[in-house]
Amino acid sequence: MDTSNPAPFVNAELLKRYPGRRVRCVLKVVRAEGNSSLSGLTSDGLHISVKQVPSVASLSQFVEVIGVVDSDRSLRAEICTNFGDTFGMLMLQSQRLR
Amino acid sequence: MYSAPYGSQADGGSLFSGGGFMPTQSATQSADGISRKSGGTQNTGLLPLTVKQISEAAQNSSDDTFYIDGIDVNNVTILGMVHNKEERSTDVSFLLDDGTGRVEVKRWIDGQDTFENEQIAALQDGVYVRVHGHLRSFQGKRNIVAFSVRPVTDFNEVTYHFLECIFVHLHNSKANGMAVKGPSISSPNYGNPVGGGAPSQYVTPNMTGVGGSMDECQKRVHSVFEEPSSLSSEVGLHIDDVARRIPGFTKKQVKDAIEFLVNEGLIYSTIDDDHYKSTNG
Repeated sequence: MDTSNPAPFVNAELLKRYPGRRVRCVLKVVRAEGNSSLSGLTSDGLHISVKQVPSVASLSQFVEVIGVVDSDRSLRAEICTNFGDTFGMLMLQSQRLR
Repeated sequence: MYSAPYGSQADGGSLFSGGGFMPTQSATQSADGISRKSGGTQNTGLLPLTVKQISEAAQNSSDDTFYIDGIDVNNVTILGMVHNKEERSTDVSFLLDDGTGRVEVKRWIDGQDTFENEQIAALQDGVYVRVHGHLRSFQGKRNIVAFSVRPVTDFNEVTYHFLECIFVHLHNSKANGMAVKGPSISSPNYGNPVGGGAPSQYVTPNMTGVGGSMDECQKRVHSVFEEPSSLSSEVGLHIDDVARRIPGFTKKQVKDAIEFLVNEGLIYSTIDDDHYKSTNG
C-alpha cells in the first residue's frame, strides 16, 4: 500500500501546476515527430508535445501518457498506453464540428 | 453503496436504484448490487474506490471491518495498471497502480478452473485491469483479495470508474449528513477538475418530509398543539395563536404545517377552519 507518488490526471491547463512532477494525461495524437516524440491534443483543446515516447509507430489515436512535466506544454514520457480509437473526448468532437 | 432512501424522488441517482446492470459502453458488466439502507449501515453492495480512498479508510479495531464515508466496505472495485506481477503455484499477486497510489492485489488460484487461468494469463505488466474483490488487512498492510481481474478493453471505462468513485463518495458523504467536501482529494483530477459542483449541505426548511419525517416547522407546530394547555382547551388553538407562539415562521408556513398535520391525523379542526386541536386530547 503505497500512496507516496500519485500521478494526477491533468489536462493542458493543469500541466503548469505540476512542474517536474509525474502526471498522466490522455492525448489525441495529432502528429508524430521523428521517432520518439509526438504532438497531441488534450481534452481542453490545447496542443502538448511529448518527448521520449517509446514506440511512436504503434500508437493508436488516443494515448495516455504517464510522465514528468517538462514545461507548460510538454511532457517527458515514461509510459504510453494505447487508449484505442474510440475514446470519449467530447470537447474535441465538438471542436471538430465547429 | 448507493444506499439512500430515494422514496419517490427521481433524481439522477435513481438511475442506480433497482440494482441490475448499468449499461456501459465497454464489455464490462459491473453488477452494482444496490442495498437499501435499513436503519443501520449494513452494506452488501459494491463500492468503486481509488487506492487513496482505501489507504484512508477507517478500520474498526475489534472486528477488522473498514469504513469509508460511513459505509462499511465489503466488495470493492478498483481499476489501474498492473505492476510487478508475480505468479506462484497457489496465487497470483501484483501491485495495482491507479494514479493515486499502489495497492497489492492477490488472486488465489484454483487449479481446476480454466477460465481463471485464462484471466491470469491475460495479465501483463502495464495492462489496465478492473479488479473486483474484498478489502483485507494483513499484518497492518491493506490488500485486496480479488475474485475477478479483467483487462480493460474500452478505455472509457477508466474515465467512468473515476467519475463513479467521485459520485459515490459525494453521495455517501451527503447521505450520512457529513459536510460535503468539494472535489475530494482522493479522486485524481481527470481532465477538467470537478470544481464547485458540491451539492448543498442542508435540506431547505420547505422540504416536505418523505415517509413521515416532519420538518422543523411542522414539529414545532405539533408540539404547540401537544402542550397540556392546548390539549385541555375544548376548541383548541387558533392558527394565529400558534403562529404567535413559535416565532421565526411565517403564517403561511404555519398554515401549511397545520394542513400537513391534519393529513397525518395528528390534529383536527374544531369550531371552524381556523381552530385546531391535537387528536391526543
